[in-house]
Amino acid sequence: MAASDQSKDACYYQEWMNLQEEELSELNQATNGCTSNVELSSLIDKIMSHFEDYMKQRTLMARADVSPYFAPTWCSSLERSVLWIGGCRPSSYIRLIYALCGIEIESQLTEFLHGVRLGSLGQLSARQLSMVDELQRKTIREERSLSTRLASLQEDLLDNPIATMAVAASGGGGGGGSSDNVEAALDKHGHSMTAILEEADRLRLGTVKEIVRILTPRQAVDFLAAGKKVRLCMQEWGKKRDLDHGRIN
Amino acid sequence: MAGMCCEVNLAETETSAPVEPSSRSARRRRMEIHQFNFVPTDSAVAPPLETRGKRKRQKFDAVVPVLQPPRKCGKAARSCEEDDEKVNNSHLPGEVEPEKKQLRLPAAETTPVSELDVARDCPKFGMTSVCGRRRDMEDAVAIHTSFAGANPNFPSGMHFFGVYDGHGCSHVATRCKDRMHEIVKDELQTGGSSSWERTMFESFLKMDKEVGDWCSGGECISACRCELQTPQCDAVGSTAVVAVVTPDKVVVSNCGDSRAVLCRNGVAIPLSVDHKPDRPDELNRIQEAGGRVIFWDGPRVLGVLAMSRAIGDNYLKPFVISEPEVTVTERTAEDECLILASDGLWDVVSNETACGVARMCLQSRKPPSPPRSPGNDMSVTVAGESSDKACSDASILLTKLALARHSTDNVSVVVVDLRKSS
Repeated sequence: MAASDQSKDACYYQEWMNLQEEELSELNQATNGCTSNVELSSLIDKIMSHFEDYMKQRTLMARADVSPYFAPTWCSSLERSVLWIGGCRPSSYIRLIYALCGIEIESQLTEFLHGVRLGSLGQLSARQLSMVDELQRKTIREERSLSTRLASLQEDLLDNPIATMAVAASGGGGGGGSSDNVEAALDKHGHSMTAILEEADRLRLGTVKEIVRILTPRQAVDFLAAGKKVRLCMQEWGKKRDLDHGRIN
Repeated sequence: MAGMCCEVNLAETETSAPVEPSSRSARRRRMEIHQFNFVPTDSAVAPPLETRGKRKRQKFDAVVPVLQPPRKCGKAARSCEEDDEKVNNSHLPGEVEPEKKQLRLPAAETTPVSELDVARDCPKFGMTSVCGRRRDMEDAVAIHTSFAGANPNFPSGMHFFGVYDGHGCSHVATRCKDRMHEIVKDELQTGGSSSWERTMFESFLKMDKEVGDWCSGGECISACRCELQTPQCDAVGSTAVVAVVTPDKVVVSNCGDSRAVLCRNGVAIPLSVDHKPDRPDELNRIQEAGGRVIFWDGPRVLGVLAMSRAIGDNYLKPFVISEPEVTVTERTAEDECLILASDGLWDVVSNETACGVARMCLQSRKPPSPPRSPGNDMSVTVAGESSDKACSDASILLTKLALARHSTDNVSVVVVDLRKSS
């Protein structure tokens, strides 16, 4: 049962990563061609709804067994090491915007200083920048409150009732309370962990949605493409590192 | 969502639409727009140029860069589609040059500023302040035009610009933002200080005292991180760089490592000198007071604070003082703009680059956009506000440049247009 859960989770994740690759090539095509804003918007809508579906499905699966989502065996060590409540830190999406907007500015600055009029320096307009800034502050606030709740949940493990059961266990953990009690306590804890994972996922989805709203369709396509690229690269680099260090999954 | 996208898109088309693949054509589109403007503005400019009336001249100076014979303009408007790059490169410097001269001329001719001129002399400004790569926002910015009310010495009022970069927590910077201009105002009206130096000196001292009393009093409710718990509260402070702009002077008072830079005829002139603990005179002062500067990730007072002056920071007194250094600069016709910013900018952008960027933004924003024919998707700004837009463009571009250069701090930038006739 447990093994099949895990392989189901892993399979679903692999499907998702495959979809990322497909979407990335779609996005790349859209940026290279002269796609209209309407077409770009519908592509963005499609990708966002995929994201939403993935989140929903993942929530359902996590409700069955949440622990692997906090330390997924289907990810490389590198990916696992940077997880925040089972995924990407939502505030890091804003860092990605800043990174992308920076790439252009520096290369165009000299041109600009020589009097060439440029409309797209860094692309982000004043209004967009202030909206991104506001979103960043809001996201960080929400991240903090979730982190604090996670801290409490982690501390709970070494408190009543779980710690008491462990202490009462005779010897190396063979017994201690009825196994039913232990299971019930761990399940209860798992429910709280699932709830926090769901909220983290909601924050991730909400942040991306908000970003897409702030950006123009073309900018949003660039942003989504870059996000997927980073994601896929991390997977690839992580796998390579695992191999290099003799960790075979 | 799509609706929202479009809405943002419409408003932002001008600055945000062109992306890499289409930047050339986008630029061409912009040129079309600008060139197109030449036709209506040109006729507006012609009369004052001929009459050479001083007062009228001031009024129309805002549209001066279109000083090209109508014939040429018309041609440019028609031809820009074909040879966009050429038009762009060859016309622009040509445009900029006459503008500069024109800007200098009226001021040289103008007799002492009359009351009427003064009334128009409210500087335009732009401000950007972002959290950037920090997870806490500790910068604060205060802008108050005509902040000192009706002062007999300055009927047109004076204008206040302040940038505060907090450390430890945000509450001292926030307090400076809320109170500094009022303290300066009181000091100007009732303090009876004989000089700007004295006025600003007293104001900074009062500000510092107020922060100290406020924290120890604990009577207030603060939304900040530390929630004003002493003793953490004692280890909180803020830089303060304050510029008071009068019709003929720029008074900059500084405490800490934020900075004010004047852009005069393309040259960057710093109006403040950062208070770093390893500045020889500051190092001396600290040592004479019995303090030490220890290198711990850069020079720090007692190995803690990386600046030698600040508002707040009670625990580092008397080594860290709140006394400002004040510079009083006469405004000239060659002054272009004033840039105030926190070290989030200055850590990664030189004074010269900052001036270059701000100046290009101010220049490229002229002429102000006149009413256009329908069908143009460029965002329409009210003509009178276009210079403001230019200042905002400058402050935002500088902020983006700081982020692009991986500034790891909060970034706050204020750009004040000092061109007399703008």
